[in-house]
Amino acid sequence: MILVVLENQRGSIHPFSIEAVAAGQRFASELNCNLGIVCMGEKVDELKSQAQNFKSSQLIIAKNPMIDMYSADGYSKVLSNIINELSPKYVLMGHSYMVRDFLPRVSAKLDIPFVSDIISVDFNNGSPLYSKQIFNAKLATSIELSSDQALLSFQSAAFSSDDIENGSPETEIEFDVQISDQDIRSESEPEFQESSSGVDLTAAELIVSVGRGIESEDNLPLMQSLAESMGAEVASSRPVVDMGWLPAYRQVGSSGQVVSPKLYFSVGISGAIQHVVGMKGSKNILAINKDEDAPIFEIADYAVIGDLMEIVPKLTEEINNSK
Amino acid sequence: MLQFSLLEQIALAVFLLSGVSFFLYHLLLRLKIVLKGKSDFTVNDLPKRILRVFNEVILHKKVASGNRKSAGVLHAFVMYGFIFFGLITVNHFGMAFGLPIFNESIRHTYFLFVGAPWAILCSIGILGLAYRRFVTKPEALGKFSSTSALVSVFIVTLMTTYFIDELHILSGAAEKVNWWIHSGVIGGFLFLIPQSKHMHLVLSPFNIFLRPSEVPNHGAIPIDLEASEEELDNLLLDLSRLSKDQALDIFTCVECGRCTDVCPANRGGGILDPKYHFILDLKNPMLESGDVNVVDKINVEAGWECTTCQACTEVCPVGNHVEKADEIRSFQVLAEGDVPQEYQKLLRNLQETGNTEGASSSAILDELPAYTSDKELVLWLGCFAKHAMDPNFINSIRNFVKILDSAGVSYGVLSNEQCSGDPANKLGDKLTYQLLMDQNVEQLNKVKNVTSMCPHCVVNLQKEYKKYHEIKYEVKHHTQVISELLAEGRIDINPGSLEKVTYHDPCNLSRTLDEVSAPRNAIKAAAPEFFELDENGKETLCCGAGGALWWKKDGGEGRTHLLRAEQVIESKTDTVVTGCNFCYGMMNQGIGPLTPADQEPIKVKDVADIVAENLS
Amino acid sequence: MKIAVLTKAIPSYESSIRVDSSGRWIDESVVNYVVNESDSYALEEALQIKENIGIETEVVVVTLGSEANTSKVIKDGLAKGADRGIFIKNDSVTTDPLSIAKLFSEHLKSENFDLVLSGLQSDDMGAGQTGVLIGEMLNMSTATLAIETQAQPDKIKVKRELESGWFQWVSLPLPASISIQSGINEPRYPSLKGIMGAKRKELNTYDGSPENQSQNFVNLYVPKNEKVTEKIEGDTDTIVSKIMDVLKNKLKVI
Repeated sequence: MILVVLENQRGSIHPFSIEAVAAGQRFASELNCNLGIVCMGEKVDELKSQAQNFKSSQLIIAKNPMIDMYSADGYSKVLSNIINELSPKYVLMGHSYMVRDFLPRVSAKLDIPFVSDIISVDFNNGSPLYSKQIFNAKLATSIELSSDQALLSFQSAAFSSDDIENGSPETEIEFDVQISDQDIRSESEPEFQESSSGVDLTAAELIVSVGRGIESEDNLPLMQSLAESMGAEVASSRPVVDMGWLPAYRQVGSSGQVVSPKLYFSVGISGAIQHVVGMKGSKNILAINKDEDAPIFEIADYAVIGDLMEIVPKLTEEINNSK
Repeated sequence: MLQFSLLEQIALAVFLLSGVSFFLYHLLLRLKIVLKGKSDFTVNDLPKRILRVFNEVILHKKVASGNRKSAGVLHAFVMYGFIFFGLITVNHFGMAFGLPIFNESIRHTYFLFVGAPWAILCSIGILGLAYRRFVTKPEALGKFSSTSALVSVFIVTLMTTYFIDELHILSGAAEKVNWWIHSGVIGGFLFLIPQSKHMHLVLSPFNIFLRPSEVPNHGAIPIDLEASEEELDNLLLDLSRLSKDQALDIFTCVECGRCTDVCPANRGGGILDPKYHFILDLKNPMLESGDVNVVDKINVEAGWECTTCQACTEVCPVGNHVEKADEIRSFQVLAEGDVPQEYQKLLRNLQETGNTEGASSSAILDELPAYTSDKELVLWLGCFAKHAMDPNFINSIRNFVKILDSAGVSYGVLSNEQCSGDPANKLGDKLTYQLLMDQNVEQLNKVKNVTSMCPHCVVNLQKEYKKYHEIKYEVKHHTQVISELLAEGRIDINPGSLEKVTYHDPCNLSRTLDEVSAPRNAIKAAAPEFFELDENGKETLCCGAGGALWWKKDGGEGRTHLLRAEQVIESKTDTVVTGCNFCYGMMNQGIGPLTPADQEPIKVKDVADIVAENLS
Repeated sequence: MKIAVLTKAIPSYESSIRVDSSGRWIDESVVNYVVNESDSYALEEALQIKENIGIETEVVVVTLGSEANTSKVIKDGLAKGADRGIFIKNDSVTTDPLSIAKLFSEHLKSENFDLVLSGLQSDDMGAGQTGVLIGEMLNMSTATLAIETQAQPDKIKVKRELESGWFQWVSLPLPASISIQSGINEPRYPSLKGIMGAKRKELNTYDGSPENQSQNFVNLYVPKNEKVTEKIEGDTDTIVSKIMDVLKNKLKVI
């Protein structure tokens, strides 16, 4: 059996979990197993109603007031019990902060290896090989397991939610969650957000970065609106900071921050080496520059040759309309 | 002729004795503290020292320089006034005891030809300076100074009472009162001078005479890793102590604020104020403790801002070595383990890979010949060149090599060149510095002649290493080599660079290595349209990369790293030439972004570039 | 209070990472080993807890690996202020998280640490599991990605970093194993006294041989860089719609 465990993110299924469902369906078909989807812990009812749209053999509901709020102790105990009961071959999740926090507990409790942050799977005739990045993604490795069971977590985009087969679970069971006060030693307070006084660009997933090509400080608000529409952080190359248009903590480059977001959207940046060394690790690079020989295009995934003053306002509008 | 009763004579004697005792007491108190300082005064090269005192004290060469020429001249009036009044004062008091040194006719002659003119000039001088200080209020002079106000009043009073006396304007009791006012003011000076900046009257000629000739002159801090705990404790205690020179400097400081005026960190909007952070903040602590263990009173944040460019030391008119970044940083690093985060990686790179960038290899080594003992010259590359800290500089190395080839000079690169250690030295991590230095000296003592394109490397290899080791080799900066080759006729330079060309003096080259002419010989041969920047030669403005600030990441709002680039842009030159790879990098980084749209981008070249381009 | 700080020696970021002749590991001879970055933050956090907690505290720096690679890690920790070092000598390449955690737990068990601090992950393998695995094996409560800690003699409050700028405070009884996020504090530089005093501090060395690993690296390879630059040209409207397609459908960022 393949088990996929869904994670709650403020009332919806965490996007990584959705991708894990796609992974689970794929595992189930490749390895000719049944797929079970576990809804446990926080916001179980919401998870369940969304999970009923995915094709699976079984929907397992684990609901209990003691795990209504996430705790490493609680989740690891309950999931361990589920695994002991159902003996799945593989347990699949997305590689999220929560999974990092509690899945190793399950691994140690049950002595089952946990392969984390997998970027791709080679099913290899029933003996899967898992690919991982190592040494700051300078190398990759294929991992084989000598155990019968495994816990697996996938990096975002290892599997695509586009590939999910819609349908519904064949059966649904209520799992008997056996958990008491003594099992949970920690006390959690509610999650909260903080306004950023200093921005950590290295943690940003999306960055809109501006260069001298925007030509004037007056054009900065246009770029900031683009960033806002995408939910991106604003960064810049050094000249923009030197001219005082943006504060130094926004600078990306050899004398500023080194970033590797999912998308680095550069606007009016030529791509001088001092800047490039600070962002070449970005997973995707889209650059807008009117000079087709700009060095930034050598490392860009998407090269937009055009006038940013025309493109950016229209793009911002389109993005806002699509929301 | 005034007559004095016995009572008056006794009163005068008591007054003068108490003034002199007071004066001597405070002077000796300060000298006692100074003598507790580390190391000794240097009195080598006597002729040079005497000439320096003559130039700086008698000729006021530093006082009346730069944009303070008129203030300097006014000060000269006051100083000379004081000097010429010496005899008059002796005569003044001698009279009270019936022992005047002038008779009436000599006295009158002296008045006509010396006293009167100098009294007028001195008054003009002090009134002019008072106007500047109290009306114009330049920022460098700081807040209201009561001692300066008193001095102004005192001097004007002295001159006035002098004239009244010589011209016999008063008589009888009024004349006597006038005499006593004059005496009272002189006595007042005896009480005023030792506790104020006016101590410079006494101390500055000595301070200038004793000024260490090496700039900067920070002491070596040798560290023995096998030392006992007691030896280590002594070393750490020593870190908090000033040298004799430094202590004397502090008591000599005249609080003119020129050091702060020229400081690039201060001009760039930083908090560093050399006058206070490096000098005056330490005065009261020394007086209170009666000792020189005051390094920990230096503002730490200000200490990290310093580019160690020595502009402050260069400009000081009373012979101070102002900069104390070395002291406070060494203290923070070695005693406290307090190193700003951005520098920790730099120091770890040096410890682990022997270079500032943490690199495991260097591409340029493949292009250059290795040094063998038959070669004339060791070409010392330095981390900047080896690890392409500015990728364009690789061409400058190639150009220098082209010049050497053209002159038939044989050269090679050492196989195991470690970083000269300059960043570690400047940051106060003397342990890492020693690690690198020891490895380098072992190799260098096997060779004779070394040249480098990096003045920071030259400073360390040539001057700093000497403080720790016996040095058998000689180091020349590449501009010195080029200049020599040109003078010897081994290379020929055509005046082919016809555009406007100027030169930015690197602070390490012009001030620390005292070299301003070699680069100019080379550049002027290539560029007939050469002109000077405003702050040139030994008055150059640091590019901002000094003191390991090249590696400082935390941008903040400081503009220290942009000031010189802005000046170059304002000069409207076509090309700026420099003699240091860090200056080269800074010009490249600053000029592009800051050049206004309607101005042509300025070309940045090293001396090697402009010479190689014009070799015949 | 007894605090263990797990520290790992890993190849520096600038090191040349090359697959060795066996194809299953890297050529270590060209690598420069340094302290894993987030472990430095963990050590600093431990030292700050020791300085502020008001009860007698021992900070022990613990590492596992070959002597050549890891000796500097121990020296660094002791120089910065750790009281003692524990070195678990293991010369074979061990990458399986469970094997590593079992090796650690075996030797840490008798010490009865109140707190085990570790960096959130080591930047070589990036598994990020060691601290939590050990916590479970030694029956400790656990928390990860701490961006702030408030330690008391009997419990610890931890501010966990969550995704997208969210945070959560969690209170845990001791003993606890906490993994530390980079940036939580400003790691100190070893002072001269610290560096020279390090050699006089106690170092316990144990032999650690890992049991059979359940996760094995079949091979190491250089990921193919299939950087194909897609040109987006045309009039403004065309460009905008093409970018929208990329953002929405290809990258799924909006």
